Amino acid sequence: MSLSHLRAAVTAGDDETLIRYVRLHVGDGDEAAGRREIDKAWIEALTVLLDMPVVDRAFVLDTLGTRDRATLAHLFFSLHFHLVQESGEWIHDGDL
Amino acid sequence: MTATSDGGQLRPGLWHTVNERYPGSMITKSDTVPLARLRRPLAESRLSFVSTAGVQPTGTLPFDVVHPVGDYSFRRVPSGAAPADLEIHQLKYPTDGAHRDLNVIFPIERLQELAREGVVGGLTDNFFSFIGYNMDPDLLERTLAEELAQAVADEQADLALLSPA
Repeated sequence: MSLSHLRAAVTAGDDETLIRYVRLHVGDGDEAAGRREIDKAWIEALTVLLDMPVVDRAFVLDTLGTRDRATLAHLFFSLHFHLVQESGEWIHDGDL
Repeated sequence: MTATSDGGQLRPGLWHTVNERYPGSMITKSDTVPLARLRRPLAESRLSFVSTAGVQPTGTLPFDVVHPVGDYSFRRVPSGAAPADLEIHQLKYPTDGAHRDLNVIFPIERLQELAREGVVGGLTDNFFSFIGYNMDPDLLERTLAEELAQAVADEQADLALLSPA
């Protein structure tokens, strides 16, 4: 999907096109794989927190409170790929 | 991880589905610029190399492979570098083979050999690399392509070898 296609979807409120693109992006062109990858990232994040390890909430709050929306959105994508890599099950052909 | 080039197409049928999965992503142009003719013999020409392999000097800012719209920057890769001095940041093609021998995707040592043997007159000080997953063809043309073309010209290249990954 080209950028113009995605922008048209935003204008039309076509969320299905937008989330489909995210699935294709994180699934390397395979929408079903993308669904599994999104699930995998959330499962990894949940698993890491189950035992209540100490977290640097000051860092998190400072980041959320001081960084612009674009940087935070990029961080969201970065965290997705980071977490799936940390899970040990890497479906992508190349490297981050 | 997908297997390497040990046999057959890595993802049979992939190309048939590109347009369905990424509608509008294929670049079409109605205006074309004809290829320039060599002004001097190959053995007297300075060669540059431009690749979409996502190869970059180790330790430089990695290409942004997670951005959903792409990365429109390029990296200079010293033409005298050894493969050990370089690394790959790219999600969209299998890099196993390239990690065993970078020359399969970024033939820097082969080009160095061509220069030493006098097949080409020399190499530009730098080669160039970017990643091919860019979803905005207009931005690609306006920024990356223009800046890269200028960078190649600034290196006083007589010809450039272009290679997709």
